[in-house]
Amino acid sequence: MKNVYIPNIVTISEIREETPDIKTFKLIFKDKEAQRNFNYKPGQFIELSVFGYGEAPFSISSSPNQQNFFEITVKRVGDVTNALFKLNEGNAVGVRGPFGNGFPTHKFENKNILFIGGGIGLAPLRSLINFILSNREKYSELTLMYGARTPKDIVFKKEIETWKKHVDVHLTVDVGDETWKGTVGVVTVLFREIEVNPKNTVAVMCGPPIMMHFVTKELLKLGFPEDQIFLSLERLMKCGIGICGHCNIGRKYVCKHGPVFTYKETKDFLETAI
Amino acid sequence: MKKYMLLSKKNLSTLVERFLKEFQVYGPTEKNGIISFDIISDWSELKLDASGVPLLPPKKIFLPPEEVLFTFKISDDNNIEIEDPLDKIKEKKRVLIGIRPCDTHGLTLLDKVFIGKTVDPYYVTRRENTIIICITCNNPTEYCFCNFTKSGPSIKEGFDLLLTDIGEFFFVEIGSERGKDIINSNLDLFQEASENDLARRDQKIREVEEKLSRNQLTSSNELYQKLIRAFNDELWNEYGRRCVACGKCNFTCPTCHCFDVYDVMELTLREGKRVRKWDACHFLSFTRVAGGEIFRKERTSRVKQRIYDKYCYPVDEFGSIFCVGCGRCIHVCTAGIDIREILKKVLGM
Repeated sequence: MKNVYIPNIVTISEIREETPDIKTFKLIFKDKEAQRNFNYKPGQFIELSVFGYGEAPFSISSSPNQQNFFEITVKRVGDVTNALFKLNEGNAVGVRGPFGNGFPTHKFENKNILFIGGGIGLAPLRSLINFILSNREKYSELTLMYGARTPKDIVFKKEIETWKKHVDVHLTVDVGDETWKGTVGVVTVLFREIEVNPKNTVAVMCGPPIMMHFVTKELLKLGFPEDQIFLSLERLMKCGIGICGHCNIGRKYVCKHGPVFTYKETKDFLETAI
Repeated sequence: MKKYMLLSKKNLSTLVERFLKEFQVYGPTEKNGIISFDIISDWSELKLDASGVPLLPPKKIFLPPEEVLFTFKISDDNNIEIEDPLDKIKEKKRVLIGIRPCDTHGLTLLDKVFIGKTVDPYYVTRRENTIIICITCNNPTEYCFCNFTKSGPSIKEGFDLLLTDIGEFFFVEIGSERGKDIINSNLDLFQEASENDLARRDQKIREVEEKLSRNQLTSSNELYQKLIRAFNDELWNEYGRRCVACGKCNFTCPTCHCFDVYDVMELTLREGKRVRKWDACHFLSFTRVAGGEIFRKERTSRVKQRIYDKYCYPVDEFGSIFCVGCGRCIHVCTAGIDIREILKKVLGM
């Protein structure tokens, strides 16, 4: 019997600093077969072990088109992430997963896609955007609205520049600085800059609950159907397999039924999702 | 072999003595007036006629309050060696005797969580290694309401053998191949039961049902729908105010199974273990994520979580409520909250 609680060992092959408190970790399985068998969808997550400090859930931020490694993009906020930030390239950590449903990309085909990210919430969207860009012809117009606290807190800066060829990118920061010439304000201010046709567009978002709450309100005002609004939700997914009980929102477990839900689905949870 | 057998009380002690040679035997014992499931080393330690149920349910035998999931060693060359304890768990063959129908049903419910699409290897190994010998309840307490949850005083499945005290003998029902094997390997202790013995068993069960009916809580099919409608009802605030969030109802519940997972490191920082430990949805920390967000800040939301996770959410997920009517949560509640009173209010009884 396979022991679902025992992590596979991966090596940190590269660490990239995204912002003062966010890093991207490139991970490669020590066992080649484990690497080959590690198939995931954009929007799925893993449980990462920093041995001695514990385990925590992270979205996969790389595109599944990458076969030889995968990446997570991590903000230093808790004990596990703090310990992870002290590790170097070449160090070993543990991985279980992938877990969760991921984004239903087949439902996005032939549609316009509006990606909306807040802060570190761009991590799972990066996986999705790169996946979609590698199958570009299957999808219609792509738009990204992304908000960060300050210009320094914008993640994937260089990569966002390369997306601009295919994606209509709109950025905003809560607080600007002397270098910032762009929009200032919470992410919803970007609705002024874009034109969307809610009839043939899906909205896909990930960010803090408060951001998703207000963005969803705007989308509904614009006429988006409730089942065309996709949310990637955060809860405390401890086990990742629907047993430990920490991540339910009312009737659903974020780890096994989610983390991606339509807004319509979240309305049946009983508890408030966002 | 007949469907029903008899086992004299004297022969039960012989059977337990034989079990002790081959198995680790768990059963209800009494220490300082408290009944608990413990490992016994002698028949005389068993307390099979205790009123009600042991303080902690038998889940502790399958999902220990604290258990090591694995140990690990970090070597100098950055390698990590993990040791899986499963093989050691597999070696232990066990018998659990004297478990009541409500608790037996509780294990059947836990099976739905731990032996579902994803199998919890520690739990399933212990379940497979443990023979269940259930005893029909003959002594319900003032807290019991298994008549509402339909999980007592007797039971149809979830046991290897079911014993019912009919006086001089135990009436024995066989619930599995493993149960049949026990009888076959101890044929000298059993004898066939008559129609008259069967009637005596039924009479015993009726007597207990009569006692239970005093709680005036009748089973209802409307609970699920009524809970969905009552989610934002005022009634929850009262219980949110009264609850002290101690988590005792969680820990003593036969179906509450939430656990926390954390690492413990040796001082050398070279070796450590990953541990899981019972957790409680009544605790403020239960939904706290690393960024600091707590999704159930109000006590009211946590009181509701437990009630809905007993009578509403599992109906969606597993097709049944997750309460066995054992009454432990009523018995232990620091704030004197009686879950039956909540149910009556929701049902408008």
